[in-house]
Amino acid sequence: MDVKYINPFINSVVTTMEMMVNTSPKRLAPFLKDNNIARGDVSGIIGFASQEIVGSVALTFPEKTVKKIYSVMMGEETNGTNEDIQDTVGELANIIAGGAKEEFSSMGITYHISIPTVVVGKNHSIVHKGGTHVMVVPFKLENNAFFMEISIKLKNNWKKNNR
Amino acid sequence: MKILVVDDSATMRRIITKNLNSAGYDDITEAENGEEALGKLEGIQLILTDWNMPVMDGLTFVKTVRTMDAYKDVPIMMITSQAAKKEVIEALKNGVNDYLVKPFTAGTIAEKVKGLAE
Ligand SMILES: [Mg+2]
Repeated sequence: MDVKYINPFINSVVTTMEMMVNTSPKRLAPFLKDNNIARGDVSGIIGFASQEIVGSVALTFPEKTVKKIYSVMMGEETNGTNEDIQDTVGELANIIAGGAKEEFSSMGITYHISIPTVVVGKNHSIVHKGGTHVMVVPFKLENNAFFMEISIKLKNNWKKNNR
Repeated sequence: MKILVVDDSATMRRIITKNLNSAGYDDITEAENGEEALGKLEGIQLILTDWNMPVMDGLTFVKTVRTMDAYKDVPIMMITSQAAKKEVIEALKNGVNDYLVKPFTAGTIAEKVKGLAE
């Protein structure tokens, strides 16, 4: 996976968090995932596809992190991984996937995004759409961790014509 | 001023409504997709709509509203994560009056709504 296709999503995560929770998240070293298991309690997943690329991006939050994000965004506390939290996580995934489009369009790539799906529970699994490796990018928001997962594949016909 | 807020995310509807309330707009109707919104148009003077929604997306909703005699001139602002310039142009071409990319700061909505309400 070429880093130039990961960066728009990383930048979108940073911008989104800066705007929504007034804190700049710190990116830690990315790694390849070797199973489907998520590293947190609630994940929002969005698929994207076009003539050029296919894939998906997921944001996974430990309960502690997402409760903190929710309280800053909404100005009130909430309990556990309830409906409000799930909705927030789905919408964050939507904002991040949509936000990366601008940077992709400068590379000549456009795509459509799906409606987000949200999965909850300890050790829940995340199914990606790229049919290729899944890269995990860990972030720290002050002392709270969260993770972006990304799987992206260039379509063959597009690769041939543009490299 | 009667405002219709259309977004599939309840969180986002609450954030938008809160921002409108603190700017002095308190007659807000909410809908979670374009189809539901079509049933809530009566008396609406301004529409704020998301793009990416199930059942009926925002662009289809806007196109539909623009075919209706009673609402073809109601100001519409799209509030969406869709950040590509091509999409902004597509929305404006199809009858959207203003465009706001998520994430946004609290003051921006109020400012833009004021502009559209004039
Ligand atoms: Mg939406």
